[in-house]
Amino acid sequence: MEEERQYSESGEESQIQELDEEDQKLQHQCQLPGAEEKLVLQFMDSMHSYLSLFDELSSALRQGWFDLASARHSMGASRVNSSLLDLKFHPAATTLKITNSDGTQPSIILRKWVSSEHERTQLEDENVQPQDSSSVKSSAEVTMAKNFSGLADNDEIQKERSKSLSVFGVLISPKLRASQLSFERALETLIEIANMRSSLLYSFHQLQKVEDSKEL
Amino acid sequence: MASRVQIPTNNSALIAMIADEDTVVGFLLAGVGNVDIRRKTNYLIVDSKTTVKQIEDAFKEFTTREDIAIVLISQYVANMIRFLVDSYNKPVPAILEIPSKDHPYDPAHDSVLSRVKYLFSSESVASGRR
Repeated sequence: MEEERQYSESGEESQIQELDEEDQKLQHQCQLPGAEEKLVLQFMDSMHSYLSLFDELSSALRQGWFDLASARHSMGASRVNSSLLDLKFHPAATTLKITNSDGTQPSIILRKWVSSEHERTQLEDENVQPQDSSSVKSSAEVTMAKNFSGLADNDEIQKERSKSLSVFGVLISPKLRASQLSFERALETLIEIANMRSSLLYSFHQLQKVEDSKEL
Repeated sequence: MASRVQIPTNNSALIAMIADEDTVVGFLLAGVGNVDIRRKTNYLIVDSKTTVKQIEDAFKEFTTREDIAIVLISQYVANMIRFLVDSYNKPVPAILEIPSKDHPYDPAHDSVLSRVKYLFSSESVASGRR
């Protein structure tokens, strides 16, 4: 018991030491010429990107709502509404992967239309093959910077898309398909916004620390 | 000084939604809908009959679940529970306020922007000059 206590105390101490080292590193970096300006520019860039992405999101959502309204008009309100939503047990086909690669802020990656069968196969492959950088690159997950879907096979993607649409019946309006694509685009923009948000908050906290250290 | 929070990594996290019917239906078409074995969903459709308590409970539930990475909330709904949204400060799940059909996005009400706007206020500039 005493050994465990010692281990946990030393764990906490090392965490506090890490924080102090980080603050010292930040202070040292800010003493370099132009460092504070660089932080400010980073913050302003993140803010600008954050607001621009919201414009893109609003545009994608507007298109999605419009297509959905058109689909409702052609198919009938009783065929396109929330009472038809599937409430039986089913996992999400589009999920997210959170990584913390640089140890300071989370990074979110979109995994679109990953069927549960494909995921099971992928996990089996990962268990069999040794994890190295090439296997990570060849996996179905790609960062949002490249804007690809999380599934290698196009047929699988179409199958998952149709499964999602089938909730509203077999014969559906092309506007409903268009709405699905608009909302997928909105989703991609949202993931970029989420990553930009964490970058914005990180730069803001760095600037706050610099201001606080000046006041001391 | 802000302390570093441990960010849990997750390979298969969900997106939760608290929004109007069309927004939720649209994102469900994009494949984000999840129903677990207990028939709990990762979304709440807000309409005229939804109470503030229901919205608060859904927000608290989604922000405490470990399998959720992002919570999408329509900005007009977030305004109903503004105190709760503004007091939330964990990195994950990320709270994103989105526009709705009848309420366009207003940067003045965004909780992230309102947190950082003090950097642009005249007070902070004046205090720097003293």
